[in-house]
Amino acid sequence: MISDGIKDIILSLMKTVKAIQMYGIAHPSSKNFYDPLYQKFSSFLRKNGVLDFQIEKFSIVYANSIVYEEKEKDISLAFRLFRDGIRNISFNQGLGFDELLLFLETISRVTKEQDIALSLWENNFIHISFYVVEEEGEISYRIPEIKLEKVDYEAKIDELIKREKIDLDERIDINLTAKEFNNLKSEISNVEKMSIIPVAITTLINFLKAEKSQEIIDSLAQLLEQCVDNKDFYNARRIVHTLQQYTDVNPIKNFENETTIIGFSNVINTSSDNVFNEFIAFLRFFSTKSVPYFIRLMTHIKRKDRLSVLRNRIASNTQDDPSPVLNLLDSKDTVIIINVIALIGLLKLKDTATLLQPLMNHTDPFVRVEIVTALEKAEKASIIARFIDDEESFVRIKTLQALTRVKYPTIYYNLLNRIKRKYFRDLEFAEQKEYFNCLVANGGKEVIGHLKKILFKWLLFGRKNYVIMRKLAAISLANITTEEASKILQRGLKKRNKDIKMACTMALRQK
Amino acid sequence: MRIYESGKHLISLFYALMKAVQVYDVNNDVVQKAAKKLVFFIKTILNVYSHIELVRYRDYIFFNKQRLRFEIDGYASLQFVHDKLKKLGVKSLTIMPGIDKEEIILFTSVFKEEEKDKFKKHITSKKFYNVNTEFIVGEEETPDFLQNGQRIKRTYFKALKVTRNLMQNLWANQPVDVKNSKRVVYSLLDSLSQDEFGLLALTTIKNFDEYTYNHSLNVGILSMAIGQRIGLSRKELAELGASGLLHDIGKVRIPKELIYKPGKLSDDEWEILKHHSDFGVKEILKTRGLDEAGLIAMTVSYQHHWNFDGSGYPVHENREKPILFSKIVRIADSYDAMTTPRVYQPIPYLPCLAVRVLWNLKGAFFDPTLAKVFVQLLGLYPIGSCLELSGGEIALVLRQNEGHPASPILKIVLDQEKKNIDGEIIDLLLDPKVEIKRPIYAQKYDINPATYFV
Repeated sequence: MISDGIKDIILSLMKTVKAIQMYGIAHPSSKNFYDPLYQKFSSFLRKNGVLDFQIEKFSIVYANSIVYEEKEKDISLAFRLFRDGIRNISFNQGLGFDELLLFLETISRVTKEQDIALSLWENNFIHISFYVVEEEGEISYRIPEIKLEKVDYEAKIDELIKREKIDLDERIDINLTAKEFNNLKSEISNVEKMSIIPVAITTLINFLKAEKSQEIIDSLAQLLEQCVDNKDFYNARRIVHTLQQYTDVNPIKNFENETTIIGFSNVINTSSDNVFNEFIAFLRFFSTKSVPYFIRLMTHIKRKDRLSVLRNRIASNTQDDPSPVLNLLDSKDTVIIINVIALIGLLKLKDTATLLQPLMNHTDPFVRVEIVTALEKAEKASIIARFIDDEESFVRIKTLQALTRVKYPTIYYNLLNRIKRKYFRDLEFAEQKEYFNCLVANGGKEVIGHLKKILFKWLLFGRKNYVIMRKLAAISLANITTEEASKILQRGLKKRNKDIKMACTMALRQK
Repeated sequence: MRIYESGKHLISLFYALMKAVQVYDVNNDVVQKAAKKLVFFIKTILNVYSHIELVRYRDYIFFNKQRLRFEIDGYASLQFVHDKLKKLGVKSLTIMPGIDKEEIILFTSVFKEEEKDKFKKHITSKKFYNVNTEFIVGEEETPDFLQNGQRIKRTYFKALKVTRNLMQNLWANQPVDVKNSKRVVYSLLDSLSQDEFGLLALTTIKNFDEYTYNHSLNVGILSMAIGQRIGLSRKELAELGASGLLHDIGKVRIPKELIYKPGKLSDDEWEILKHHSDFGVKEILKTRGLDEAGLIAMTVSYQHHWNFDGSGYPVHENREKPILFSKIVRIADSYDAMTTPRVYQPIPYLPCLAVRVLWNLKGAFFDPTLAKVFVQLLGLYPIGSCLELSGGEIALVLRQNEGHPASPILKIVLDQEKKNIDGEIIDLLLDPKVEIKRPIYAQKYDINPATYFV
């Protein structure tokens, strides 16, 4: 007597298979079938632990009773299973939803080439087991005759024992030591974790060393795509490096398109620094053709440090032919312009200033900042100085910093005058500080005297407003590591003026 | 937990309790704790199954019809429990849901007994209501769920046919049936996990005329058997099996005259033959493409003559180490090649001598740990070995006694007068009076070991 539960499961199973065959597994109509089927399976397995079906030519049998029968070969599930050698299917408790879904998808596929048994095997089910037999067909069970030789077999054994230095009485300990066991386990665990691709690449590379073969070259090219897809840029590099030696075809060619390169946006923002660094190293194989796409890619990068690394890489790629970069100077996209300017700076071109001239009055202050940076790299101090009166304070600060680094003594008295003016005290501290830094960097011997004057200046009014000036002068003196500067600060400590005293104390402490 | 893992865990807990009752009094805390753990786990299993059945047949233990394999994990506990059941003549144990701590302790205590008859007496006199013990009466009977001898045979010969077709088609530059070659690997794998020795026995079929096909198949089976013992997953075993089957596939690009040349090869010919490893790379790429299993098989084909010490061919840098699968295939390949007659080796090595050669070359040619596992698997007198016994009879090794490599189970095939007989089966572990005098060539007495297994 078959329970209603079993009948229900089989009925539901057949309906689900039909729905999947008609609509596909992802279709909502199929979902309406397999969701309840899973509930039925789960409920049965919870109670009974196992659900075991025998497969016959046209029928499915449960506990010696037919629960499904269909003699039309084209539509009979039993026949399709039977044809491929499946004789039994068991579902065990713990069957998961995804596992059942995969099973349903496998048995629902109807193609001439498909072998359901093979597909089931390849899916490595955990809670579904099945029994498969091989067809008798034209199998020959012939056992080959053994060849009798006219030799002295005893002498042969003695010869082998002697030759191979065998001691048949030697005791052999077959138990693994703890060390052997652990080493083997870790080797097995590596098999599970590690991909075979790097080893396969080595094999193919070794092969090429012995014989140039187009098939191997093609295989490596295919593996290159897999490596790039898997973000394995280390092995991608190994392949490209090898292929470049054996073929005139550029192995990178397939990747030098906008879609692929913009697709690297997940790589440039990866959480793994190692992947990012390998990616950057891989980029050295890209030609200048891909530069515009990489400049676009830069607009997707989130980390500043990585942007800088990527820019350096691309600048290096365009060292011999900067035209792809320069062609983008008239882009309407500000972010692209910024990256182009940065690249021009990194390229250290002779005509950097001329190239950037049309952009110097760009409305976007970030463009102007990037120009300052680029000019700094090109050491064009006089042109940088033009930005000292920029309307944006961060542009001015960047300018002062650049002039501090590239040195531009001509600007010294200009700076000094500005510092002395009243409006200077209204600037932000960060900018004031950069003024003093720039002053020190560009000044000669006279700077100490000028700083001393600022530090010790006698004031009748506005003492409070002047405190900051004394502080900045004192800090600047502390940064000048001469004895004279040091003496001035020491003298300041003895001054009655509290502001001077405090400024000198702080500066000396900082020093 | 899957049924297989549940079975292995149950055995380990049973083993722990057996050991505890051997050393301590039943009231000791160690015994009580071990029993508590075992009963708890039994109850967990009985939530899913109506009962627990442990069946011992040959060298196997089945837990609710699922064979528990000897693997390097849990080897000691399974071997101990198996040996105990075997020595005491137990056929099966059935545990029912009513079992409790007291009953399991009392039941396990009976296993302290070393003698079969006394043990049987204790079991029957103590009346265990929730554990039923069945004993072997006369010949060991195959359990009804294990009627798979025919299936294994069919799988083996189908696999042989598929291997032959595959290589012949490659030889003739004809398209190959990749689907079928994949299928036979899984089919072999199913047989292997159910009855390892049943399938290993068929590797005693050696074919002088069709060496390459038989050898490829045997290497596939032996490799999977090693892989199974070290605990590789099913997916990995399938990849290993395919690699074993295809390891020599590059030979289809070596001139046949050279492969079948009788006598010694010249140095130049030898150099050509060596190329089969790298030819295999191309052939596998052609047949399997770049899927994972294909890449593994390709690598194994390339590396299967690399030695553990860095020597071997194709020449490679010493720092390049063979992958685990290549090291396994290296052992299986060498063993089968040594024990198979070929044109330039009409009289092969005896299996027991081949095992010793492998053992002697561990560390140089072969991975020492894997060599150990291999001897663990085949024993010192592998299946199909022909032995002369101390009484003058000639016997054939039928299977191993797990954990006792020098004491296999034999069948007498020739009497003292060297006349054919359907002799008795002798278990050297249970019958220590019988001794092996020496290994002999089966050919000497016109014995074909394979006929006993097919």
